[in-house]
Amino acid sequence: MNKKLGIYVHIPFCRAKCSYCDFYSVTGSDNLFGAYSEALKTHIREAAEQLAECDVDTIYFGGGTPTHFGAKRLCAVLNEIAKRFYITEKAEITFEANPESLDGEDALRLRRAGFNRVSIGVQSNDNLTLRQLGRPHTWERAKRAVRACRDAGFQNLSIDLMYGLPGQTLKKWEASIADGIALEPEHISCYGLKLEEGTPLFERRAELELPDDDCQADMYAAAVERLDEEGYAQYEISNFARKGFASRHNMKYWTLGEYLGFGASAHSDLNGRRFACVKDVRQYIERIRSGEKVMTDLEFLPPQARAGEYIMLGLRTVRGISSAEFTSRYGEGFEKLRPYIRKLVSAGFAREVGERVRLTTKGFLVSNVIIGNLLDYL
Amino acid sequence: MINQENIRNFSIIAHIDHGKSTLADRLLELCGTVEKRDMENQILDSMDLERERGITIKARAVRMEYKSPDGNEYVFNLIDTPGHVDFNYEVSRSLAACEGAVLVVDSTQGVESQTLANTYLAIEHDLEIVPVFNKTDLPNADPERCKKEVEAIIGLPAMDSPEISAKHGINVEQVIERIIRDIPAPSGDRTAPLKALIFDTQYESYRGVIVYIRVMDGSIRPGMTVRMMNTGAEYNVVETGYLAPRSMVPSPCLEAGEVGYFTASIKNVADTRVGDTVTGAANPAKEALQGYRAAQQMVFAGVYPLDGAKFADLRDALEKLKLNDASLSFEPETSVALGFGFRCGFLGLLHMEVIIERLEREFNMELITTMPSVIYHVVKTNGKMMVIDNPLNYPNPSEIEYCEEPFVEASILTPAEYVGNIMELCQDRRGELKGMDYLDADRVELKYELPLNEIIYDFFDALKSRTRGYASLNYELSGYRRSNLVKLDILLNGDLIDALSLIVHADKAYPRARRMAEKLKDNIPRQMFEIPVQAAIGGKIIARETIKAMRKDVLAKCYGGDITRKKKLLEKQKEGKKRMRSFGTVQVPQEAFMAVLKLDE
Repeated sequence: MNKKLGIYVHIPFCRAKCSYCDFYSVTGSDNLFGAYSEALKTHIREAAEQLAECDVDTIYFGGGTPTHFGAKRLCAVLNEIAKRFYITEKAEITFEANPESLDGEDALRLRRAGFNRVSIGVQSNDNLTLRQLGRPHTWERAKRAVRACRDAGFQNLSIDLMYGLPGQTLKKWEASIADGIALEPEHISCYGLKLEEGTPLFERRAELELPDDDCQADMYAAAVERLDEEGYAQYEISNFARKGFASRHNMKYWTLGEYLGFGASAHSDLNGRRFACVKDVRQYIERIRSGEKVMTDLEFLPPQARAGEYIMLGLRTVRGISSAEFTSRYGEGFEKLRPYIRKLVSAGFAREVGERVRLTTKGFLVSNVIIGNLLDYL
Repeated sequence: MINQENIRNFSIIAHIDHGKSTLADRLLELCGTVEKRDMENQILDSMDLERERGITIKARAVRMEYKSPDGNEYVFNLIDTPGHVDFNYEVSRSLAACEGAVLVVDSTQGVESQTLANTYLAIEHDLEIVPVFNKTDLPNADPERCKKEVEAIIGLPAMDSPEISAKHGINVEQVIERIIRDIPAPSGDRTAPLKALIFDTQYESYRGVIVYIRVMDGSIRPGMTVRMMNTGAEYNVVETGYLAPRSMVPSPCLEAGEVGYFTASIKNVADTRVGDTVTGAANPAKEALQGYRAAQQMVFAGVYPLDGAKFADLRDALEKLKLNDASLSFEPETSVALGFGFRCGFLGLLHMEVIIERLEREFNMELITTMPSVIYHVVKTNGKMMVIDNPLNYPNPSEIEYCEEPFVEASILTPAEYVGNIMELCQDRRGELKGMDYLDADRVELKYELPLNEIIYDFFDALKSRTRGYASLNYELSGYRRSNLVKLDILLNGDLIDALSLIVHADKAYPRARRMAEKLKDNIPRQMFEIPVQAAIGGKIIARETIKAMRKDVLAKCYGGDITRKKKLLEKQKEGKKRMRSFGTVQVPQEAFMAVLKLDE
């Protein structure tokens, strides 16, 4: 059997930059679309030539805003992947969409090209909040985008919702969830707003009425409870899905699966190496064009050096970590974590499920500290 | 060789900011010792810290040659004295090296507490005092009134004293004339056995200790074996010489009446204590000069490296500082909370601040210091007396018969309008009024007996703020008195944090406990568990605060398989942890210790 591989394609273009976002994306560079598309295709072709055969079982187009890049171009890039790689029959092929740049025609085109999962950045049911976040769409537009995807035949649909937003109360958040559930998606991601230095929202932080940490914790707990009641089982800190609809691509990140990234600032973890492509979109295009290396930040991590990553990423998931799994992959060491894990369990931050250990809702909420402490013991 | 007749050894005494250093600069200029263009402001204060704080920490000396209009050539040795109450002993040794003192009085202020204290000290050393009235160029100067004050309060004739502006160089030559006319020349016996007073030392890495001396009798020259009469140390003199402002000028010898230095490859500054007498080993003097005493530390505190692994670095740094500062003491101590560190003794809180700042600045140490403590006497039921400079050693209350704490006699000079404020402050600090004198219609001297531990932390600042800076303070240890003391402990999550324990008067325990608990609550970040902060005396909890549990610290997204963000976060977290001390399950940042230390601000 060939090795399984996920493919990630980064589309670093946006119509407008959201006021909270500090991921890499550019606006006002739509003139680069054609060149970027060509660069991606070249990159895909060249990478495929160098790689041993593998089975691509997940593909994910993220951004930025992939739909702003244009459905046609997304399809062309996907076709290039299909041409150069072996894609398994049941592969999960996702694109991220923003409501304002996805209409019925686009959805149909994407579905026909082979995309079978869509993740829509809805974020909130409150138009005022959406505007404050710099989102160029409304709640009504988001509903329309969902409908368009359903009409086009997408049977695996995810929406993103955000909590901890300026002016948001627990009640308003619960309303956001209820409205989100009413859209009947198969998958819901709930992300807490984090003020990142250097973003416009961070600069305005003094005038924002942000819910405090306690309130945000309540919001999170409320989401976990409500979504569970509605049949959306939590499978990762921020992710919930109906049975069978957990994102297989994202699960690769948390279970140390292998993935290969294309596009500016795309990350990869393949053959024991973590690496990224150059961040700047122009540089990426230029380097691909001239045959230079696009890889940066290369880090070689043999399996046994990944014990820390296993814990750090594994504890993000509901499956958690397992002593048997740990030992078979990394050897000794798990016992050093035992005393602290015992404390976590007795204080309600973690739970033992068989021989696995997972964090509880309370534990997920302070997972940065827990993971940091565990790594200290390792 | 200089005739003793033509030598004048003097110091300049003044209240802080009355213009001592500026006058010194002008004298140096007039004597051509320093060209005007080379003048940096206040050349005598050569340590950065001294310049910033406007105080002299170490004594300095400088030699000037002056050709008087009558054709005679004179040598002046100006011995600068430390200007803070913490350094009283050093002041007294510097004065002992002089025959006279120039008393600088700010004509806009008049006599202040340190004017008085320093003058009395000078009189005690039989110095001839030359008053001069400075800052006469200022519009609010009133030299007449100040002269009257000096005559009335100090009892010195002052009516025809020079009125000068050191800043603008006005009438400074009059000061020189008075120095020549009024200050007696030294009168040592140059044929007698060597007797020289050590008034300062300085450590240099390649020459060893440079010993600043005033030769009283006899002479000292390279090749001679000398003995320190109090410490008994003997050394072979390598070099003798004079002190120029920025350099040392070797000379074949130093004779009675002269001020200068010698080196003798001395590695240990403790061998050459300020106040000790240097004599010849071959032909020693019969007795040492009067007035030697070992430096007396009044304030003690634990000093710990923030990073436990830096213990050895801290020891090296303290040893290096001690090379130059015999009044610093330190010995290793261990705290459950802070690990390995040192119990350091200081002359006073200013001295402590200076040392801590130098450790941080010059040696890049990150430190945690514990609450400064004075020395308490605890008499136990078995009749034994314990000397306690560290709350950790405080015995169980059931074993204590009684306790004593050190008291000081404080003299506070203030404009009359602030008397009420000051009395309030002193009462709050358990002070006992011993006397109140109206020096004139507007100026009052208050005498208080105050517990030392009430004034070491922030008394001076509080006094300044209640008197808009007008009051001045001077104090001296007056002895021990019985006192109702208790040991206040802090518990975090039920665990005693020994480094935060302190000894306080029972009446002060409750408010102090409350404020400490509040400060800790505000400065310890929320953690995964709720943390009770308690203050206790014996087993009894007298104050309690709660640090609520942290409920949210989570990275929502690991986007597109980019885990570098998460890794960076973990690294940052790790860095943060380095600035924390863990006590059981509780992580306490350095800032929390600082906040408790600065409780009274």
